[in-house]
Amino acid sequence: MKVCEAVKTVRKWQNTIEYKPEDHANDSENLYLDVKAGSTFFMSKNISYLSARRGLEDNLFQRYGELVDDQGIISTQDLEKLAEDFLVGTASLYGTTTFYDFLKPENQGKKIYICNGSACLCAGTQSSLKSTVLKHFAASEIGEMCCLGRCHENSAFHYQGKNYSGDAFSEIDEIMLNRKPKPDQYVVEALGEPVLTQSTSDIDGIVSAFQKILERPSLDVLDEIKKSGLRGRGGAGFPMGMKLEFCRNMVDDVKFIICNADEGDPGAFSDRYLLEKRPYSVLMGMLIAAYASGARYGVIYIRGEYPESVEAIEMALKGLRKSGLTGKNILNSDFEFHFKVIKAQGSYICGEETALINSIEGQRPEVRTRPPYPAQFGLFGKPTTVSNVETLASLPYILKYGGEVYNKIGTAQSSGTKLLSLDSHFKRAGIYEVDMGTPLMQVIEAAGGFKTGIKALHIGGPLGGLVPLSKIPDLCIDFESFRQHGFLLGHASVIAIPESMPMINYLGHLFEFAAHESCGKCFPCRLGTKRGEELIKKSITEGYKIDMTLFDDLLHTLEQGSLCAHGGGIPLPVRNALHYFSDEMNKNFSANSNAS
Amino acid sequence: MHLKMKLASINQKPYPIKEGETILAFVRRHAGKNKVPTLCDAPNLDPFGACRVCSVDVELDNGSVRTVAACHTPMQEGYRILTHSENINRLRKNIIELVLTDHPLDCLTCEVNGNCELQTVAAQVGIRDVRYPDGANHLERQKDHSHPYMTSDLSKCINCYRCVRACDEVQGEFVLNMTGRGFDAHIIKGANQSFSESQCVSCGACAQACPTSAISDVYQSKSVALQEKTRTVCTYCGVGCNLDIAVEGDKVLSIQAPYDAEVNHGHTCLKGRYAFRFYNHPERLRSPLIKRDGIFEEATWEEAYDLIAHKLLHFKQEFGPDSIAGISSSRCTNEENYLMQKFIRAVIGTNNIDGCARVCHSPTALGLQRTFGTGAATNSVADMELTDCMMIIGANPTDAHPVTGARMKQQAMKGKTLIVIDPRKTELARYAQHHLQLRPGTNVAVLNMMMYYIIADDLVNNDFVDQRTEGYQDFRAEILQLDLQKMEAISGVAATQVRAAAHAYAKAPNAMSFHGLGVTEHSQGTFAVMQIAQLAMLTGNIGRPGVGVNPLRGQNNVQGMADMGVQPHQGAGYLDVTHPEIRKKYEAFYGVDLPAHVGYKIPEMYDAAIAGRLKAMWIIGEDLVQTDPNTQKVIQALEQTDFVILQELFMTETAKYADVILPASSFLEKSGTFTNGERRVQRVNQVISPLPGTKPDGQIMVEIMNRMGYPQPDYTPDGMLEEICQIVPFFAGITWENLGKNGKQWPVAPDGQDSKIIHVDTFKRGKGAFHYHDFAESQEIVMYSEEYPYILTTNRELEHYNCGTMTRRTKNVEILTEDVLLIHPYDAEENGIADGDMVSMESARGQIEVKARVSEDIKPGILSSTFHFPEIMMNMITSNESDSEALCPEYKVVAVRIRKSEPVMSDV
Repeated sequence: MKVCEAVKTVRKWQNTIEYKPEDHANDSENLYLDVKAGSTFFMSKNISYLSARRGLEDNLFQRYGELVDDQGIISTQDLEKLAEDFLVGTASLYGTTTFYDFLKPENQGKKIYICNGSACLCAGTQSSLKSTVLKHFAASEIGEMCCLGRCHENSAFHYQGKNYSGDAFSEIDEIMLNRKPKPDQYVVEALGEPVLTQSTSDIDGIVSAFQKILERPSLDVLDEIKKSGLRGRGGAGFPMGMKLEFCRNMVDDVKFIICNADEGDPGAFSDRYLLEKRPYSVLMGMLIAAYASGARYGVIYIRGEYPESVEAIEMALKGLRKSGLTGKNILNSDFEFHFKVIKAQGSYICGEETALINSIEGQRPEVRTRPPYPAQFGLFGKPTTVSNVETLASLPYILKYGGEVYNKIGTAQSSGTKLLSLDSHFKRAGIYEVDMGTPLMQVIEAAGGFKTGIKALHIGGPLGGLVPLSKIPDLCIDFESFRQHGFLLGHASVIAIPESMPMINYLGHLFEFAAHESCGKCFPCRLGTKRGEELIKKSITEGYKIDMTLFDDLLHTLEQGSLCAHGGGIPLPVRNALHYFSDEMNKNFSANSNAS
Repeated sequence: MHLKMKLASINQKPYPIKEGETILAFVRRHAGKNKVPTLCDAPNLDPFGACRVCSVDVELDNGSVRTVAACHTPMQEGYRILTHSENINRLRKNIIELVLTDHPLDCLTCEVNGNCELQTVAAQVGIRDVRYPDGANHLERQKDHSHPYMTSDLSKCINCYRCVRACDEVQGEFVLNMTGRGFDAHIIKGANQSFSESQCVSCGACAQACPTSAISDVYQSKSVALQEKTRTVCTYCGVGCNLDIAVEGDKVLSIQAPYDAEVNHGHTCLKGRYAFRFYNHPERLRSPLIKRDGIFEEATWEEAYDLIAHKLLHFKQEFGPDSIAGISSSRCTNEENYLMQKFIRAVIGTNNIDGCARVCHSPTALGLQRTFGTGAATNSVADMELTDCMMIIGANPTDAHPVTGARMKQQAMKGKTLIVIDPRKTELARYAQHHLQLRPGTNVAVLNMMMYYIIADDLVNNDFVDQRTEGYQDFRAEILQLDLQKMEAISGVAATQVRAAAHAYAKAPNAMSFHGLGVTEHSQGTFAVMQIAQLAMLTGNIGRPGVGVNPLRGQNNVQGMADMGVQPHQGAGYLDVTHPEIRKKYEAFYGVDLPAHVGYKIPEMYDAAIAGRLKAMWIIGEDLVQTDPNTQKVIQALEQTDFVILQELFMTETAKYADVILPASSFLEKSGTFTNGERRVQRVNQVISPLPGTKPDGQIMVEIMNRMGYPQPDYTPDGMLEEICQIVPFFAGITWENLGKNGKQWPVAPDGQDSKIIHVDTFKRGKGAFHYHDFAESQEIVMYSEEYPYILTTNRELEHYNCGTMTRRTKNVEILTEDVLLIHPYDAEENGIADGDMVSMESARGQIEVKARVSEDIKPGILSSTFHFPEIMMNMITSNESDSEALCPEYKVVAVRIRKSEPVMSDV
């Protein structure tokens, strides 16, 4: 996700600020006493510190999950016991557990979950899936999950800890009997240099590669990463070397690396691919990042909607443990590193780094103000680097071939390769690795074009831009190209919007998603996403005409006022739609302002 | 102006910036508090960034403009802040419009109409209408009126989190939180309970923090009618919280805590904020009462004064001035205490003057005087924010000094090293790295062990010890003889644990201690205080910020009472009354001859009374019968005293034994000064007129002095303070005017400079003194433990203050209704006692019945209870033992036996 403050260019300043005492002859400094203002920047720290007392070993967030796994619900007695153990209030815990889709009391009794992500919606598979499911389950037993990452074949559902998609629902009787999911199949192809998709070595190869890395001074390793020009793949594109360096320069004996594997963008499944098919790359990426930044602990925070990813990473970790790549004195060096896998509990906002940190601490995963940045005050108040799966998985390549080699791939400002997730509207749906700078058209061609008529691509997740067909030839896969044309590369998931889907309905879906996943902390997002959803749905179902001035004010408020990119980002696709699909949506809006 | 001043501008006008400030702080500093509107910001809370109405545009040198929230964005050189650009005005207006889509528009009937921050901001941004069609809302939320004080109407909630943050960042209680997410997020109490079901401690911080009336209190403290406010100082504990009291005529409407109070920063507890309705309770005494034939009859002040003057003159002539004694009150002002001791010394002519410090912190005063030369806290409470290690001994601040306790809890939660030495698992002990849960009465054993380890493990600050102390070599030799195994067995605390705590204290760059009555109310109370002082000296923790020895004084003005000379051996300003030169000075000042010998301490007064030597006793505001140990003995002493005069608010247990009762005024009805536990002299400002028929204690003293022929000028706070400053050396630079809002910490130099820290370069007595004292078992245990095998220790609960005279006459009594006995599950089972059973508890003095509460906060063999309620009269059974030096009673160690109250079936 991107830091929120919108940047726009205005006139240049002609003169510098100059202090003229005569201007201040009548000033008196206001002595309003602000007890804490003007000191350092805080957020609520107490629960961070109290949760830190038990650290990652006895993790509060994990305790919630275990209680729900064991008994389906967290009782008041459980809350009291937890409050006693962690020295917090029952309100702290109740307030937190009710935040998550899979922990909240309403989730109790749900037996099967149907994917309601954007790709399954656009594919139109879910209503027939639901009618099949309804033959086996009561309506109250059916829940929803937002994107199981099966966008390449849709009809996705989750049953007893496993994901199913494609034609699996036709065998639902068999599944209920045996629970044997077929591994899902999708195309994996590199159009250029295979950095991420190249087959990883076996564990022995990992050991010898990491052995070589440990022989180099950690500063050297950091320099290699800086030389590569690698930028964060979670969406914001922040230089990875700089991020690690911030953390490295903090003086503290405890530091963390967090692998953000909470790939919540509906339509994206590239992280899922890496976690399940290239787990050693991810884990070794964490080891390298830890070595370069001086971290001793690592957390892999994997979304609960990806049970197979959790299993794959845990399996790979076993391999690492067996080979002495974890714990103290790794491969007989001074390097020490401990891994912790945490399964998330259903909340999109946890992909935002500060919300993710709060989540691990067992607090409500609300977005924190910055500063302090995670490098200054991260997990349990300690210096922390939060990085996306794909970013970390690129590190083994960089250390193997050198930063300069990596830097030569891609464009000057966006080096390396990027994974794209293409949904089922593509003839050859799946994961494509491309050198940064590759024309979007080339990717579409490689994927064989579209199965049906489409009118737009939604690229980069729900907060990414809506690219009309006409703009496709203009775009290359890199951060700059997308920004220049008023879109966002983001995490580079690609959802095709079919001609049959009214754009206003798609916007309704986006606002519904934004409102459902808003953490509720900042006023613009909490209220604005809900009102946006209501306006659009009213215009669809009641023939209500949305006042364009009001709607523009709403988007402005979200863009300018939101605390994080969730509220700040949702106007981008909406504005794209208003711009490129105005004809189609004219009937939903009235140009007259009734407020003036 | 400096050349290198860093500048930024606000709406084109340049101003200097301060390092580390936020944009909001910068704008407020230069352009006024209300220049930028805010909703989620509060003066005592960290920046949060929820409401976004504080957004401003920032233009940078490169010409770009960013819209940022001013409250959490750091200020930087060269920022050009635009507080009201077109973009910002549009944003703010539209945010408020969104807020109003889910807010009842019933301002005219709302509690906070005219004093609502949402209303103010809405007006500021110019909202005229809400353009959104009707949508989902939360206007149907139910009100919560379950609690005696706290109320909520969450339909008014704007989700600013200020209450949640106040409960977390100020009180540290975590009773409030948000639940759900997004549009459905809303405030909960506890696990989605009502205020009364939750663990709320009723501090009211949330109500004060709330910008609307979503959370408020039964006094509607935010209603606009309450604009007229008087600032004064709380009458309860020794923290000395400042209060803003809203009045209408002579009626107190509500109380809030001022944010600019250095002592309490906008916080206070349920006693300070809500327990004020005692002041006009129907049971307030409103006329002097004279007991005739065993029955109190109303009398005029003239009649009462005549009788008193006549009786006192008679006893003075017949039996000498030492047949009369006075007990002053730490609840009264400095001026009143000064007058009382002056009356007893200068008008009666005896040093028989003492006060309730005798039964609480007299060992602190004595112990610190012996070691350092001054019987007061060395540092300020705020120093806990600067220290690296807090050691809390025999104190339960979250109950007894709630605002200081909450502040300590904030430090402890953030991981600051905390050592708690206490027989009970107190709230703070839960957060402590080191909890030495010793057997009551063994402080001296544990503290000696700590000092042993500091010396034996070479952790002594030798420079400090060499340069600033005396007697160390002898002390060291004695300590190193300590039988550690024996001390371990005596105290019940493992030596390894004591050693770890000793190391934590000694190795901290700055360590400070706090102690309470769990140190002083013991047969070796003074010695334990001296040990705490010696620990500080051994480790060089004296004379700078974040260190020192800091007694948590119990009553609002117990420090001031002793400062004013309410002690039988020292006059105003702690000067020795037996010293001829000093006596001459006092005689010249008071204009009369003064006695040369030390007077009675309170327990000696009882003995004298029982022996028939005490004829008259004048008591101000002290319920001796309910609060002093061994009730039967106290009653006997009062009965044996011919003439008992009492100034009181209520008909207390002690009042029943008085001969004349003079109805006094409460703290709300008078002016003067209180001195808190950190030597801070603060102004008490009269809030309402004295209740009809009552007089302030100081006024009574002046009138009786005049009546008995002593020319004392009329009671005015500034006039009295002026007299005091002439005789009390460390008050030299104090005037009523220069005390201002936040008072001054003594000693105050003639130029008005006050002292946050004392003993900076040298101790008051020159060198700090080391004296070794062996642990000695209390005679209570030596004599009675065989027959009475359990140890009862007494303590306090948050909701009630001392004997509850005031708090029991407020709604606090609905929150905590009775005294209970804490008993460990093992002991409960052993004695067939279940939670809630009545227990018969018996000591060598007497027997009482009290309800059991089974708890693991105490160890087996130990029991714990309070004496807030006269129905129980806990002090019927407390002990005769007292501190060997200061005669402070040993409330904390009582040998008892217990059984379930129901008749027990015979075995036969």
